[in-house]
Amino acid sequence: MLDDQIILGFETSCDETAIAILKGDELLVNTISSQVDIHEKFGGVVPEVASRAHAEMIRNIFHASLNSANLQISDIDIVSTTDGPGLVGSLVVGYNFAKSVAWSIDKPFLTVDHMVGHLAAPLIENRTMKPPFMTLLVSGGHTQIVLVEEWDNYQLLGTTIDDAAGEAFDKLSRFCGFGFPGGPAIQKIGEGGDPNKIELPRPKTKHEYNYSFSGLKTAATNFLNNLDPNDKVTKADFAASYQEAIVDSLLSNFVKAVNETGVKNISGGGGVMANSRLREKMNIFAENNDLNIYLPTPKLSTDNAAMICVAAQNNLITNDINADDVRLSSIIA
Amino acid sequence: MYSLSISTSGKYISVAIHDDKLISTSSVLSENGTTNLLMKSIDEITKKSRIEKSDISVVYLDIGPGYYTSLRIGLAVAQGVCGSLGIPLVPVNGLDALAFAAHTGHRKICTIIDIKREEYAFCLYKPVPGGVVRDSEPEVLNAEILKIKLEEDNDKKLVVGDWHNLNENLFGENSYIKFGSPEHVSSENIFNIGKELFKNNDFPNFNEVRLEYMREPDVSFSTKSLEGKVNFHD
Ligand SMILES: [Zn+2]
Repeated sequence: MLDDQIILGFETSCDETAIAILKGDELLVNTISSQVDIHEKFGGVVPEVASRAHAEMIRNIFHASLNSANLQISDIDIVSTTDGPGLVGSLVVGYNFAKSVAWSIDKPFLTVDHMVGHLAAPLIENRTMKPPFMTLLVSGGHTQIVLVEEWDNYQLLGTTIDDAAGEAFDKLSRFCGFGFPGGPAIQKIGEGGDPNKIELPRPKTKHEYNYSFSGLKTAATNFLNNLDPNDKVTKADFAASYQEAIVDSLLSNFVKAVNETGVKNISGGGGVMANSRLREKMNIFAENNDLNIYLPTPKLSTDNAAMICVAAQNNLITNDINADDVRLSSIIA
Repeated sequence: MYSLSISTSGKYISVAIHDDKLISTSSVLSENGTTNLLMKSIDEITKKSRIEKSDISVVYLDIGPGYYTSLRIGLAVAQGVCGSLGIPLVPVNGLDALAFAAHTGHRKICTIIDIKREEYAFCLYKPVPGGVVRDSEPEVLNAEILKIKLEEDNDKKLVVGDWHNLNENLFGENSYIKFGSPEHVSSENIFNIGKELFKNNDFPNFNEVRLEYMREPDVSFSTKSLEGKVNFHD
């Protein structure tokens, strides 16, 4: 562990331009500039738009981050960035910016797999978390159950065969005109709604830990297309029921994986892990089964650069795999 | 004082270190997906020039038009270097750089830069003593319209830039159109204009440097939505 080194981290794999500075166990800055406003009108992240925004914002966020930590660039000891997976046009901006900063100040340049960043994120607030643990990584791009046996030994037990959980939220939210991103929009609209009002499927797949969400989305849109005003279904009931179906699906495979492997520590990460219903059910599961649970706070669940810093700090890096380019697939496989 | 010039707008990653004259340069063909070679090239020419990074006091950057991802890599690197070393970033338009490098004295200069999907950035220039001036606004054209533009009058013209990317049968025998070099923007071309802009203090604030995309981003999202059409009970 790089105890008192000051680590500068970048994360630009999707639509957040994020920069963090970590010194030991003190997170000095965690700047996240979301492009939500820009992508809202399209109902999703448009890669070319995201990439243009990163290229224009990153320099300001860089200077603002140094200023708010009261640091000079020469104070930085290590520069880290995610090198994938993500949107290529977005990744190359943060990756090349970070690389040129490291080069300019003659400091080491460490690259971190985005998914490894997510699974290391709980360390920022809780230094005691140790493998083995089972983690549920859920976002707009990923839905993964990963068994972390050692810090550098990951077993991907389950993944989605079609849409990611975040996409399932986004697509339906766009369809209903609820807003973007879909997860927070549906959570908000569903507040006070009855999660059991509408019967929606909990899709199963052939492989026991894999996920599938496209059937759920189809069932939900069919339901809406055939909805009669006399059915007296409120937006809140519908949103709560849809959210419940996703949360239940996510939990059931995860619970099975935890029970069957007998691990005692669980964790999670990714944008969907900021969903309060999912967090609530994860916590209840841990409590009922006497498990240690390490959920990063919502701000550290969604994409951020602090997770890149903490992964670099713990040497969870990918430099030896591909030091000269960004990657489209995760090292977790 | 030393300058670093960068051009990544097309197929080549071209970088150069100058003082008053060229110290060291490198141009490598950038296959798809190897655009990250830029930092490697910069590192190599800096070492070859036997200068310290801190000796670089200005960066001249080709801001396009050109290939979007490559341009953004150039911008990201230039911003990282300038932001870290605390030195100015001088943006140079690639069409201007081509025209300036081609000025011949009498012919009009037509600059063409491939921006992919069979579209080309185009601008017309007039030679003037010591350089060139724009004779049209830069615009994006397809090959057919480009041909019409070039053939609409009998002015003698020199076409430079990515003309070899056009179908060679597009232009028939035509004595007043000549095709010449440069055939792509180089860091040397960028330096030649950049140093003038820098000398005259004619460049924007670091935060205001923008790429010349010349085209709005594609938005391929379906906007089909049931908004307002679902019969919710509220
Ligand atoms: Zn993520």
